[in-house]
Amino acid sequence: MGSSVNPSAPTGIVLNIQRYCSHDGPGIRTNVFLKGCSLRCKWCGNPESIAPKPELSYDARKCTGRKECGTCLKPPFPEGAFFVPEGADDDKVKVNWHLATGCDQALASLCPTGALEMFGKKMTVDEVLDEVEKDSSFYRNTGGGMTLSGGECLLQPDFSAALLAGAHERGFNTAIETACNVPWRFVEKVLPHVDTMLHDHKMTIPERHKKWVGVDNKRILENFKKAYETFPDIDFIARTPLIPGINADEEHIRAVLAFIRPHKNVIDYELLPYHRFGLGKYELLGEVYELDDYKTPSDDVVKHLQSIIDEAFGRTNSTARP
Amino acid sequence: MITEIGHGSFMRRIAVMVGAGHVPGLNAVVMGAATAAGKLGWETVGIRDGFDGLLYPERYPDGGLVTLDPGLIANLDPNAAGILGQAPRVDPFHVRQVNADEMVEEVDLSDRLLEKLKAEKIDALIGVVGGRGMSILFKLHRKALNVVCVPRSIENDIAATSVSFGFNSALSFTIEMLDRVRQAAQSARKIGVVEVLGEQAGWLALQAGIAVGADVVLIPEIPADLATVAARLKEKVTDRRPWGLVVVAEGAKLVETSKAKAEPSPLKASLSPLATGEASAYVIHRTGHAAEAVATGLQLLIAEETYPMVLGPWVRGGAPTAVDRQLGMCYGAGAVRAIKAGDYGTMVAFVPPDLKFVPLTEAINKVRTVPLDGGFIQVARSLGICLGKEL
Repeated sequence: MGSSVNPSAPTGIVLNIQRYCSHDGPGIRTNVFLKGCSLRCKWCGNPESIAPKPELSYDARKCTGRKECGTCLKPPFPEGAFFVPEGADDDKVKVNWHLATGCDQALASLCPTGALEMFGKKMTVDEVLDEVEKDSSFYRNTGGGMTLSGGECLLQPDFSAALLAGAHERGFNTAIETACNVPWRFVEKVLPHVDTMLHDHKMTIPERHKKWVGVDNKRILENFKKAYETFPDIDFIARTPLIPGINADEEHIRAVLAFIRPHKNVIDYELLPYHRFGLGKYELLGEVYELDDYKTPSDDVVKHLQSIIDEAFGRTNSTARP
Repeated sequence: MITEIGHGSFMRRIAVMVGAGHVPGLNAVVMGAATAAGKLGWETVGIRDGFDGLLYPERYPDGGLVTLDPGLIANLDPNAAGILGQAPRVDPFHVRQVNADEMVEEVDLSDRLLEKLKAEKIDALIGVVGGRGMSILFKLHRKALNVVCVPRSIENDIAATSVSFGFNSALSFTIEMLDRVRQAAQSARKIGVVEVLGEQAGWLALQAGIAVGADVVLIPEIPADLATVAARLKEKVTDRRPWGLVVVAEGAKLVETSKAKAEPSPLKASLSPLATGEASAYVIHRTGHAAEAVATGLQLLIAEETYPMVLGPWVRGGAPTAVDRQLGMCYGAGAVRAIKAGDYGTMVAFVPPDLKFVPLTEAINKVRTVPLDGGFIQVARSLGICLGKEL
């Protein structure tokens, strides 16, 4: 069943490491966000995690403008990639994202104010684990540990497996957050090193899944079922990002419950009410947020759907997130 | 496929493509290009759905290219939807697709596109595109593709040309709708606040506002102070005239008073860094937000009732005006003239009374905004239209 850690893949592309997290597995945790995703959810809150390679970002708030700086308006920056529009309120630089595609870490580092940065960098397993280890006392006291998130952490299966195995060696609890749209060979490489698997059931109907997420959910559901059956010792927690008008309906929740309840190692089903915290990040990447007009679900809807889950799990207390 | 046909003329095969985003009367450009090319003895083909017709010919049982022969052009309805169709994303450098492992990814198909154009023996490409499309075609031109662009913009914000194709149709429709809103406001005795397209430039709001005699026009070029607007409305809205009309470009900016702080949430801790709240300056506010913000803000400052409306995407449909039909034909024929002259990497620009060919570098990375000392601003002020800021 289990496969050994691949020593030839000691590095991976890490988006960021976030300490003091409390919602992605037991206890206090450190979330390690990996780059690359195999889905394109229109509501994505972490767009900077989608591309598999490091990518340029631009934070206009940090730009001091052409008069004071102007570094990116000259070579070696590509012609036309950065510009100051005539007649603008200020002389801050704007990015032509179509012409700035060749900008890498070396160029971004020339920006003296840090307005230009790269999302994502190559890190070794030990570099990541040393960072995670800084909060080891919290993990011991709370039963916490490290959660791999993304993006889709299973897209870097060797790196993820090595990270998780290393975390176990250092005595940390391990969790992953995944949508599981990867070949099974990726899944089976990583799961032997996982204590808790948080996994998304985004939509029930395959055609609708394809419309909103990019591919249908056939392979995803097959992977979930196989994972439940192959790894009985893992705590599986199902999740649904709840978006009004898309999947915040009773039918979807009941369909997910019908899918997970026969498997006793699926210990919970969490609702994640849609939020808009990620919107601003699209601007940093020059992307357009496609779900702009959607609202967060109402408390009543969340409470009602949560009550269905609580009933299925034989609980009386609601566990939906605020 | 360049074949000499005597007298220094060459037989060519050219292609026309349309970028993302509909504007009325795209067929006029196609007709102009194909007709002018036909007169030179050239063959013109249209690429279906952006570049999809070339990149994915298997999706098109009738072929991904449309031969724009004289018989087809003669029967083309200039009022109908574009014969070439459109794709929501037109960027061969960044094509989203599902790979063999059923995973979504973005790939660079620009080389494949260039190979396909070569295989189809296409000598030059006419792109009917907006600002973003122009940057993409500029990149293709840097990869040695012979490109001529036709500027297409509802907002008329493309630099180096006086009028982009599609603007006049949008302006006419906007004026018609504002007239209707005014009638509704009169009968309801309220203040209609209408949001129109114009994220970076306020031409549509300003010209339409002047045409219908709006009380207030707010454009991106002039950050507006709602207190000033409210004071002017108090003067204008009286018992004898108990209604008002405010036109707001979607990119209009309000002079900031106090910005609400992002609500703290435990969810944020589980997101990657840079996650912000809705009230952050990072949030991209799009359709409908400007009208709502202005209508709500004004209602708190004056005694009258306001109601927000959004024209938004409505203006992208419908039939083209006479001006756009003529302009489309001119732009299409002009692009063929540029190809004949070998002026590649250019945009056809309407600089009355002439059509000129300007390098793409003069059009990209620039926005044609409303000059604050220009004629339209002066006209608006002389008509008593409040522009959100006192002189």
